[in-house]
Amino acid sequence: MLIRALRAAHIVDAVAAASSRWRDADFPARVRATRAIVERTGYSEPVVDYALDRLFGSLTAAALRAAIAGELGSLEALDGFVERDGRPDVFFRGLEEVTIVSSQATIGVAIPPLAYALCAKSRVVVKDRSDGLVAAFAQSLAEERPELGAALRIESWTSHDDPHALERLAVSDVVVAFGGPESLRAIRAQTPPDGRFVPFGHRTSAGYIARESLVDTERARACALGAIRDALLYDGEGCLSLHVLFVERDGDVSIDRFVALAREALEATALEFPAGSDELSPPTSIARNAARFRASQRGGAVIAGAAQGLLLIDPPQEELPPLVPRALALYPVGGADEALGFLRRHALPLVGFATNDAGRADILGLAVASGASQIARLGTLQAPSLAGEHGGVGRILPFVRAITKTG
Amino acid sequence: MSAAELDARLLATIADWSAGGVGCDDPAFDEHARALFLHQVERNEPYARFAAACGYSQERPPATWREIPAVPSSAFKDAVLATFDVALAELEFHTSGTTVARSGRHFVERATLYDAASLAGFDRFVLADRAPIRFLNLVPNPRFRKHSSLGYMVGHASVLRGDGAAAYFLEGDSVDVEGFANALDAAIAAGRTVCITGTAFAFVAALDAFETAERRFVAFSGSRVMETGGFKGRTRVVARDELYARLEDRFAIPQTSIVAEYGMTELLSQLYDDESSRTSAIRVKVAPPWLRTLVVDGDGREVAFGETGFLRHVDLANRSSVVAVQTEDRGYARDGGIVLLERDLDAPPRGCSLDAEELLGAHATARPDR
Repeated sequence: MLIRALRAAHIVDAVAAASSRWRDADFPARVRATRAIVERTGYSEPVVDYALDRLFGSLTAAALRAAIAGELGSLEALDGFVERDGRPDVFFRGLEEVTIVSSQATIGVAIPPLAYALCAKSRVVVKDRSDGLVAAFAQSLAEERPELGAALRIESWTSHDDPHALERLAVSDVVVAFGGPESLRAIRAQTPPDGRFVPFGHRTSAGYIARESLVDTERARACALGAIRDALLYDGEGCLSLHVLFVERDGDVSIDRFVALAREALEATALEFPAGSDELSPPTSIARNAARFRASQRGGAVIAGAAQGLLLIDPPQEELPPLVPRALALYPVGGADEALGFLRRHALPLVGFATNDAGRADILGLAVASGASQIARLGTLQAPSLAGEHGGVGRILPFVRAITKTG
Repeated sequence: MSAAELDARLLATIADWSAGGVGCDDPAFDEHARALFLHQVERNEPYARFAAACGYSQERPPATWREIPAVPSSAFKDAVLATFDVALAELEFHTSGTTVARSGRHFVERATLYDAASLAGFDRFVLADRAPIRFLNLVPNPRFRKHSSLGYMVGHASVLRGDGAAAYFLEGDSVDVEGFANALDAAIAAGRTVCITGTAFAFVAALDAFETAERRFVAFSGSRVMETGGFKGRTRVVARDELYARLEDRFAIPQTSIVAEYGMTELLSQLYDDESSRTSAIRVKVAPPWLRTLVVDGDGREVAFGETGFLRHVDLANRSSVVAVQTEDRGYARDGGIVLLERDLDAPPRGCSLDAEELLGAHATARPDR
């Protein structure tokens, strides 16, 4: 049977069932994949485990159904025409060929789009990494529903110039690509002119702590822990990794006290999520040394914590923040306007904005104006919901064509 | 200690070493370096701020020279690191800059120190036989590139140690191949020993041209090559052993007479290939006794002997700037010196985070030139 013959609900259930098997840390395929990911990326095992827990813990039938229903109106709209109030009937038919090019160094980033593309009943090719995580998950999907296995192909390309890759990209209705600007440019150049190209480029994230979160030590400590977790997780190398943190000056908890709490948080988080490697890579070391010098020049403090964590306190605002692994720059500010001025001056392309104070209108306004597409509480920035949009783009919308019917 | 006292002390050290003495032993180096630190944190505010951030000050000085806080070489781009009013600088050197658009500046209060330190090293490691020699230079001409420390250093040696017919054949990125060939032919015809100095990239450009033209030279006996500078920002990189083999083949200068110099704008002293290692596949770089190098990890801790790390130099000739400089170069300690490794900035990135280079639209390439 072809995937087209399956009902979307059955696909959702199959994906969720496969995912639930992967939630078990002792599931043999996951154990093997974890080892391979640690080997490939150099992230520590707790970090990889956390990533897989987050990924498969959120890849549930409820999340898939909620996202699909939210974007398309109903799950059934993937199976045939459905009525809509005041609008023509619609059938969201999955596009035929989807290609997902995962990035060099992220963990399982191709799996959510793969799941949604299958729900759209598309044929999917994923360029996998050497750890074979996607291939192993594909095997689980096939075990749940052979039709999913038949619709899914996992490939390994040596480069985007690989003849096979070029051939594949040229016939893709949708290409989802993760990577840096050069990779995205190269991939985009190979996609059909009328095909959909959904790029997820490199981004960074910022956070904001308002005086309302600095009314007492406990709240301030929770913010510090959350911020440091957002900064250190994945060695600070994710687009949702926090690199810039604004802290309002006039809280009951002073900036100095908050810095002390952040220092404690640095030590605690380093134990929970140790650095992937004992040694920093040369480019990272060089960048960190340069950042430390610059931070020192305005009386700003430099705190080198355990496990390569680095806190730069009040570095020069005219300089770019240190966009290097496991480093967080903390900028005392008078208010949201000052933070927005900083972000605009440096044209920082943000994807995430972490704050516990989005209830304050000016901070919510800052988060929206910052360009971020995800606003989250501190400490949860790197755990986005799979039911929400990703990088400002719908989860299933990129994979479907709306066919309307009147009369 | 005053600037004059520190300068006099270093000049005495250089003179002693040049005359065959020790120059300075471990205790003397340690004491001199720590005196320099105190001198600099009192007069060099950016350095004092950095030292304070590292936990050191006049009141809390380093216990040994190994503890002296080393500024990253990029700091010369971010701040004016000088112990004096730079309007009075006798020399001003600029780095080319590779990771950001700005270039670094190294201001030197007294040319005498640089002249003495650089010439002493050059004499010992390149001109040890004191042969009468003609300099043919594939480095920036100091007359036109007055902020090139390499051009200045070679120019100074050319004037004081050359036969008065020194010439330059590098203009910007272009090598005057014909002019160089003519000058080399003339030196050979005159039976004149030559010292060909040049950056690795300039040598490759010249060699490419000579090989295309099937042109060979037989340099007069005793001729030598001083190579420096690597392949800053170049798309074409040639392995060093290949380069040396080609130089030997094209100029008939044995590889044992090819000396690699390692220096940088941020340092006023240089390291050179140790003579005993010039026949070896692994060349060990050694320094005069007033320049010492530590190998440290990414967090600045010294690594065990023989392990690879970043090179941190403590240069007593940097009296008017910063005594300790943390470089972006990698290497390891061996046989009383260090082995310099090619830079590896192409470590595969992880994650999807933006980095500053990406944001600036620039890419790091190689160590800064001079």
